[in-house]
Amino acid sequence: MMHRSLASSIAFAVAIATSLIVQTPAAGQAQSPATKAAAAKTAPESKAWAPQLTPDGKPDLQGVWSNNTVTPLERPKGLAGKEFYTEAELKDLQKQERERLMVTETEGQPSANHSGIEGADPDDVHYDFSQFGLDRAQAKLAWSRRTSIIVGPEGTIPSLNPDARKRLAEIRAKAKGHEFDGPENLPLGARCIARVNVVPLIPSAYNSNLQIVQGAGYVAIETEMIHDVRIIPTDGRAHLPANIRQWYGDPIGHWEGNTLVIDSTNFTDLSPFRGAQNLHVIERLTRVDRDTILYQFTVEDPGMWAKPWSGELVITKIDGQIYEYACHEGNYGLADTLRGARVTEADAANKSAK
Amino acid sequence: MNSSWSHYGKTMTCNVAKALRLLGIVAGAAAFEYSGGACTPGTCRETRNLLRISLFQGASRSGYQMRNWLRGSMAWMAMLFALSPAAAPSVAQVSSYRAPRTADGKPDLNGIWQVLNTADWDLEGHAAEASPVASLGAVFATPPGLGVVEGDEIPYLPTMAAKKKENKANWTKLDPEVKCYLPGVPRATYLPYPFQIVQSQNSVLISYEYAGAVRVINMGAPTKAPAESWMGWSNGHWEGETLVVDVTSQVEDTWFDRSGNFHSDALHVVERYTPRSADTLNYEATIEDPKVFLRPWKISMPLYRRVEKNARLLEYKCPEFAEELLYGPLRKRTTN
Repeated sequence: MMHRSLASSIAFAVAIATSLIVQTPAAGQAQSPATKAAAAKTAPESKAWAPQLTPDGKPDLQGVWSNNTVTPLERPKGLAGKEFYTEAELKDLQKQERERLMVTETEGQPSANHSGIEGADPDDVHYDFSQFGLDRAQAKLAWSRRTSIIVGPEGTIPSLNPDARKRLAEIRAKAKGHEFDGPENLPLGARCIARVNVVPLIPSAYNSNLQIVQGAGYVAIETEMIHDVRIIPTDGRAHLPANIRQWYGDPIGHWEGNTLVIDSTNFTDLSPFRGAQNLHVIERLTRVDRDTILYQFTVEDPGMWAKPWSGELVITKIDGQIYEYACHEGNYGLADTLRGARVTEADAANKSAK
Repeated sequence: MNSSWSHYGKTMTCNVAKALRLLGIVAGAAAFEYSGGACTPGTCRETRNLLRISLFQGASRSGYQMRNWLRGSMAWMAMLFALSPAAAPSVAQVSSYRAPRTADGKPDLNGIWQVLNTADWDLEGHAAEASPVASLGAVFATPPGLGVVEGDEIPYLPTMAAKKKENKANWTKLDPEVKCYLPGVPRATYLPYPFQIVQSQNSVLISYEYAGAVRVINMGAPTKAPAESWMGWSNGHWEGETLVVDVTSQVEDTWFDRSGNFHSDALHVVERYTPRSADTLNYEATIEDPKVFLRPWKISMPLYRRVEKNARLLEYKCPEFAEELLYGPLRKRTTN
C-alpha cells in the first residue's frame, strides 16, 4: 500500500516544495495527483533529486527542521472525499492564516483572544500564543494541499473495533469524575512524560521543531517538545523482547534507497494511543529537496482498528537551533491544576456544609 | 651505539643524574650514574649494590658490549620512570593511542558509554554511609569511592562552604536528581546510567538515558547561547585526538552530585573526551565558577564502552517516578 502511492507522493511533494511559504504558484498545480503520478513515471530523471550523502554514504537527513502546519490530523467534517485543496483554495487558506495572525497581533482586539476561553478579556488572557511568539503562523509553516494529514478518501482515524470501543468506554467510565484526583489521572503531556508529537511525528501546537543527527549506523531524531530523542539503529537488529514496553516504543531502522524506514513496536498501552496494546508504526523519511523531507507513516493495531491508517506531511528546513524544553522542571501547571481542583472541592464541601 | 654513547651519552646521563639527585629521585639518579660510568665513584656505589647481578662479572668482549647495552636501556627506563608523573589516581596521562576515524576523518567517539565509579554520590573521596531510607537497608546505602577531583578537595570560597554543608545535610530534599530534574554538565556524564554519542561532522549529539536528557554540541563556528538552560549550551572543536567542549549558560539549579556540591549561574565547564583504547575514553572536565570557588578545579575519570551485542539506551523517563514526591500532597484525599 505504501509503495503504490510512493511515486505519486514524491511527485506531489516535489510540487509542494516549490510552493512553500513563499506563495508563488507552481506550474501544473491544477493537475490531479494521478496526472502528476503519470508525469513522474514517464520522466523520473527530471523529477528525481539526489540527496547529499553523509561521509559514510547514507542519504543526509541532517539539520534543524519543522513540521509546523495548519493541516489537521483528521479531515474536517464536510470535506469527506476531498483529499486535496485546489491551488486557489490553498492560496485562500494562506491568506486567511496571515489575516488571522494580523488580528491576533493587534492590541486591544477582543477577537484576538486565542486562549480558547470564550469571551475572555484580552487583559486576562495568559495564553494568547502570539504574545509569546508561539502562534503557529509566527513560525515557518510547511504548507500542503492536503485537507488532512491522514491520507485516503475518509481522512480520519478508522472507527474502533467493537472490543476496543468497549475497552476504552470502560476506561472512560472509570475515569469520569476523577479527572483531577491525582497526577496519574491527567494526560501524559500535562505530566511531561510523553507527547503525541514524537511517534508518529504529528505537529505540535507550537515549537514543532526537530533536529536530525546521523552517526555511523544510527539516526538520531530529537523533537524539541519534550527534548525527546529517538536513536534509531540501522544495523538490522531485532526488536526488544515483548515484555519491555516504552512510551515511544522501540524504533529499528533501515535504508530503502533514499528513504529511511523506521519500524516501531513495544509501545505501552497509553502512548501514543490510549488502549492500543499491540501498536505497530512504520515511518518513512525521504529528503526530496534541500529544504524538504517527505514524511509518511502508517499506524496499525488489529486490536484497535480493522485496517491500518496512514498519514503524510511535509517537514521543512528552518534556520536556528533547537531550544531546550525543560518541561518537567517548570511544570507549575500540573501542581496548580491539582491545587485548583482541591480548592474547588473544598469550596463545594463548605457550601454544602452550610 | 657504543661510540656515540661513550662521549655525549656519558655527559648527558651524568647531568641528568645530578638533576635527579637534586630532586630527590634517588633510584632514577643512581641508574643514570651507573649508565654514565664516568660519574664520581661515590654515587655509583649504591647503584652497584642495587644492581649486583652476576651477569656483569667477567671482562669478556661480549660481556662488555652487553653491559653497555644494558646500561643504555636502563638509562632509558630510568628516564621514563623519573619523568613519569607521580602515581596519582588521575588518568590524565599522555596516551599514544590513536582511535579509528569516522568517515570524515575525526576520532570516532560514536557508541554507548558509562562510568564505573561513585562520582554521582560524591565527587570527593568518601567512605560508605547508611542509606537515608532505612527500609532500603543495604540496597541504597552510599557506596565508598575514591574521589575524581584533582587535588581531592573542591576549593569552595569560605563563604560558600557552609551552603555545601547545608545541602549535604538535606540532600534528599534538595538534590534535583531526586526530582528527576535535568542534571546539567558534567553531572550528566557520570550519572549511573549509560549515554550515547552520535557523532557527525557539524554536530555531536549526546543522548543520556537518565530523564531523556540530551544535548547537541555545535561543531561549527561557535555560537552564543540564546538563553539559560538546564543542559547548557555546548560548542565543540577537535584538538588532535581530543574533543573539547565548552559549556556555558547553565541554570544555577543543578548540583554536581548527591552530596550537595553546587554552583552558581556563572558556571563555565570545559570538557575533554580523549580515546585511550578501543573501548575506553578519558573524560576530564574543568569547572570554573568565581562566585562559588576559589579557583578552577578539575575532575577526571574513564568512560567505558558498553560492549554487549545490541547495547542500547532504554527509556528512563523518571518524571513519573518523582510524581508521588512532588504532587502526592496535592492528591485528592479519599474519604468514605
